[in-house]
Amino acid sequence: MTATLRNHDPALDEFAREVGSEGAVSIAGNRTRWDVGGPLDPDTRVLSAPTGIVEYIPEEMIVTVRAGTSVEELHRTLAERGQWTALPERGGTVGGAVAVGQNDFRRPARGDVRSAVLQVRYVSAEGTLITGGGPTVKNVSGFDLPRLITGSLGTLGCIAEVILRTNPIPATTRWLSSTNADPFAIHAALLQPGPILWDGTTTLVMLFGHEVAVAADIDRLRSLGTFDDCAAPSAPTGHRWSVPPAALSDVAALNTGAFVAEIGVGIVHAEQPQSRPPLDAGALLIHERMKAEFDPTARLNPGRTVGVR
Amino acid sequence: MSLLDRFRDRVGSGSATSGDPLVDDLRAVLSPDRVKTDGAQRSLLGKDASVFDGGSAGPICYPISTNEVVDIMQVAQRHDRAVVPRGAGTGLAGGAIPLGAPIVVAVTKMRSIGEIDEANGVAWVEPGVINLDLTRHLTPLGYHFAPDPSSQQVCTIGGNVANNSGGPHCLAYGVTNSHVAAIEIVTPSGDVVMLGGLDPEPDGYDLRGIFIGSEGTLGIATKVAVRLTKNRPAVRTLLLSFASVRDAANTVSDVIAAGIVPAAMEVMDQRITEAVENYVGAGYPTNAAAVLLAEVDGPEEGIDIDADRIAEIGRANNATMVRVAADNTERALLWKGRKTAFGAVAQIAPDYYLHDTVVPRSALADVLDEIYAIADRHDLLIMNVFHAGDGNLHPLIVFDGRDEGVLERVHAAGGEIIEASLAAGGVLSGEHGIGVEKQKYMDRLFSDADLDHQNRLRRAFDPVCRANPGKILPMGHSCADIQQLRSVPTGVWG
Amino acid sequence: MDLHLDADDLNMCVQCGLCLPHCPTFRVTGDEAMSPRGRIHLMREVQDNNAPLTTEVLESFETCVQCRGCEPACPSNVPYGHLMEQTRETLAEHGEITPRWQRLALAPLSNPSMLQAGSSALAVAQRLKLVPKRLGISAELPIRRKPLQASGNDVYLFTGCVMDAWQRDVHRAGMRVIEAAGFGVTPTNDLAPCCGALHAHAGLSDTTRGLAETMMAALESDRPILVDSAGCGAAMKDYGHLLGTSEAQAFSERVFDIGEWLALNMDDLPRVAPLDLVVAVQDPCHLRHVQKVHESTRTVLRPYVRELVELDDDGLCCGAGGAYSVLEPELAGQIRERKVEAINRQRPDAVASANPGCSMHLAAAGVPTIHPMELIDQALQQA
Repeated sequence: MTATLRNHDPALDEFAREVGSEGAVSIAGNRTRWDVGGPLDPDTRVLSAPTGIVEYIPEEMIVTVRAGTSVEELHRTLAERGQWTALPERGGTVGGAVAVGQNDFRRPARGDVRSAVLQVRYVSAEGTLITGGGPTVKNVSGFDLPRLITGSLGTLGCIAEVILRTNPIPATTRWLSSTNADPFAIHAALLQPGPILWDGTTTLVMLFGHEVAVAADIDRLRSLGTFDDCAAPSAPTGHRWSVPPAALSDVAALNTGAFVAEIGVGIVHAEQPQSRPPLDAGALLIHERMKAEFDPTARLNPGRTVGVR
Repeated sequence: MSLLDRFRDRVGSGSATSGDPLVDDLRAVLSPDRVKTDGAQRSLLGKDASVFDGGSAGPICYPISTNEVVDIMQVAQRHDRAVVPRGAGTGLAGGAIPLGAPIVVAVTKMRSIGEIDEANGVAWVEPGVINLDLTRHLTPLGYHFAPDPSSQQVCTIGGNVANNSGGPHCLAYGVTNSHVAAIEIVTPSGDVVMLGGLDPEPDGYDLRGIFIGSEGTLGIATKVAVRLTKNRPAVRTLLLSFASVRDAANTVSDVIAAGIVPAAMEVMDQRITEAVENYVGAGYPTNAAAVLLAEVDGPEEGIDIDADRIAEIGRANNATMVRVAADNTERALLWKGRKTAFGAVAQIAPDYYLHDTVVPRSALADVLDEIYAIADRHDLLIMNVFHAGDGNLHPLIVFDGRDEGVLERVHAAGGEIIEASLAAGGVLSGEHGIGVEKQKYMDRLFSDADLDHQNRLRRAFDPVCRANPGKILPMGHSCADIQQLRSVPTGVWG
Repeated sequence: MDLHLDADDLNMCVQCGLCLPHCPTFRVTGDEAMSPRGRIHLMREVQDNNAPLTTEVLESFETCVQCRGCEPACPSNVPYGHLMEQTRETLAEHGEITPRWQRLALAPLSNPSMLQAGSSALAVAQRLKLVPKRLGISAELPIRRKPLQASGNDVYLFTGCVMDAWQRDVHRAGMRVIEAAGFGVTPTNDLAPCCGALHAHAGLSDTTRGLAETMMAALESDRPILVDSAGCGAAMKDYGHLLGTSEAQAFSERVFDIGEWLALNMDDLPRVAPLDLVVAVQDPCHLRHVQKVHESTRTVLRPYVRELVELDDDGLCCGAGGAYSVLEPELAGQIRERKVEAINRQRPDAVASANPGCSMHLAAAGVPTIHPMELIDQALQQA
């Protein structure tokens, strides 16, 4: 039945055969976030996911892409039609970005990864190709497997292909820097705040939209301090913290060491790692059951645990 | 019955033992007047806004706190009885219809709006809060809750979470899943668990994300942290008329292709426009084959660039009229017309069946042609009003249920509409959910292995089919054996 | 039981549920049996499926305020008010509702002198603190009355029963305003003692029909009949439906809410300096949901006060509901709390309400209510 509705892709079948149904297995992308979730068990077979953009329909704002494709290649193709996705540009692959589930530091302008994955096809622990979700932005047809798989670090299935929502690249983007404007006031002053990065001294803010709207935003910001144009920053590095946005108003209390905070979002890129409380018992129970349901023999990405940063 | 007896009966209602240990246990944990067992209530809560009969409610509980929901869940476990949550009962896919005389948990008394946490961009609300009440509460602070389903004046936040509700403005803003940061739930095992969090990347699997849209099958939401969306200072609402539905549909595709994501793009065909105009008098042109309601919002600066571009694209697609709402009153009236469209058809015939599928935008025109042809084949009146920007179709079959054999034709046409949508690369539901309505079509979209994985997800929350059994997954999958559920357990419900 | 409900009317409801938030009893209870959709479902169950008339079913019917706030919210135009009146009529005929004491309480309404005696007694009793506060009756019932004199015969002013006994000052103000616009007014006084609205609510429609016929006979002419009580006006505008005759229809067409009529004759009303007040408009249900002429209250009031403010509760009922606040004091009190909150959000100096029931019910909760005619009258007097 399903075959009539979904493209039959021999590359995915081949991937499913490689994953098989026995033995510990892990999928590597470009290993840019290889340490997330803890060290991989040593005797694990490491495979690569299939590559290539399968279908890009700009007017539907969707792209079907195999997991092994690099985000860079994907975004290069989309840029030709004035679009991008929420996936972070950090040198990794599409599958890796989806499995890790972390957002780009420009998330306020690009959207979040979990909302961007409309359909996922993955190889199950039994070696079967499974499809969840669908190719449309709006979809409540059954349980949301794309949301489950996104950010699951490959512990529930081996991601083979995704359909991603694309978004138009804004007509204008402009980065400004300031050393005397309060970053929280900047966030409050803008109707649709773009990324705001703050290291305790300097604030970098990205404005985006129509040129006149950006110009008007700049006027709004002038009352808050002095701003200068600056180059677009590269992705901040360091240990990744996730805190409620309000907690950023007292970063010192967090003991992050040197930091770059994403104001209004709550991500902090810091010198020190974040120590996080364990999941509460009820949530842990669901996690354990989930893992047991999807991977009864614990063969998928052994050693990795979601929640270890 | 004498007046005095009736008085005693009313005062004493619930305090005496009911003869049913389940009811007695529920009354012991809730105040007795919040456990209803009379036939009138049970028949009433056996239905929702859908056309599906066959529901059968057991005791109906009206909890007022998370702890009471936990208590109810524990009683349900002791008695091995299923639990079905219910908000305003406006669902159209039968998701809230109780099967097998389960305990119905109506959250309509859990309706307080708690802390507005501006620093974290959320408000904590109980599941029985009405969507529009929430937005009205937030408006003076400069915010709103973005999902705005047509039923927003009555539907609850709990129901929005259960169905991942959308609405016209989710084109730009996203559906409920993008607007809920955290949910406190009572799991089917009776644990209180916080899903998600106020931080942007909470640890673990995205349990929050998968709970949203799960139609009450993974537990009961008891508190929801909804995201605050800043109100837009400027809005432009455009009304475009077309001589064909195809021109309207093509305009929608072209707008998106031009890199514009308007706040909303809604299309109504001529029949529905006439009904709406008759009902609201909003100034919709009734001589056009289709009207497109497009809205852009944001900062004042630059807003006309998008509005002008949409008008231009409309004209390029043969728009016969382009009008911009002059003020907020006209804008509100146009939206009132759009949002009451489904009800307005009742002037034409007493019954309607509202469908909900999603197709690629580029397929809109072809699928609509097919839908009109299906209606003709079955000798049915069909109207179309839809979230065109999302490709979310809402074909509306209008009929009189008293006509002999009409229901069979309505259901047959409905099935063909679903097939036509799937054949065009679409999905089963954009916002109404699967409920009991579309279970039997799930295997048209998913393989057995796919459905098995969905069931695994469900089992991780609910290994024993406690929460809203008989929904979403089709027959043959766990928790879905409706035949069995429809044989009501013996006892006072028999 | 056959409730004698029109099957087509009953079938118009498609259970969409859009009425729920517009129902005051659903709003305060969250219980669907206390909603229009629920009540219609129960009507069907009783009439079509012979469901037993249990305490719960009767309670559902009896707790309806009959504000008809659900009607404008209903996209299918279900004639809910008529369905509920018919249901109550049938149930009253079968002795299922309206206990005798309640009928007794309604009897004096068609006999003004009895009501005056009764309400004077009530006023005295109130001052002696004999009336329980939970009954929600205003603490300012007047003790003495002055007669109303005709000033001409351009229009009738319907003085009714409750209004005349409890708020004759409103009639006086209304008469002065109409006179200021250059029209002569004939108060109906004992000519037409009662419109029958409360009897209709209670399901006593034979009595209602009798009162309607009395009134039509007494006010025979083509003069407009102005009504300063929204509930009475709504009932009188419904005589056409109630009696089903062309005479009754013609009579109903002569009935105007006083604000409605004045809005049509605004040009004749002197313009004076506005009162220095922020006034919130509280729309009586029978003006907004039934007569649908609530906008005219704003039209006539706006020139005479500093600022008019709107409540943000979609015109939800205040819980007065004719005799409802006396019969269901607990629910009526909860409904009123919502209204008082909505009023407090706007911080007005005064609340204009064109219905005596609403005014008294709200005043009992400390809300400064005043009839729109009294405000206009004050502005005119002040000038």
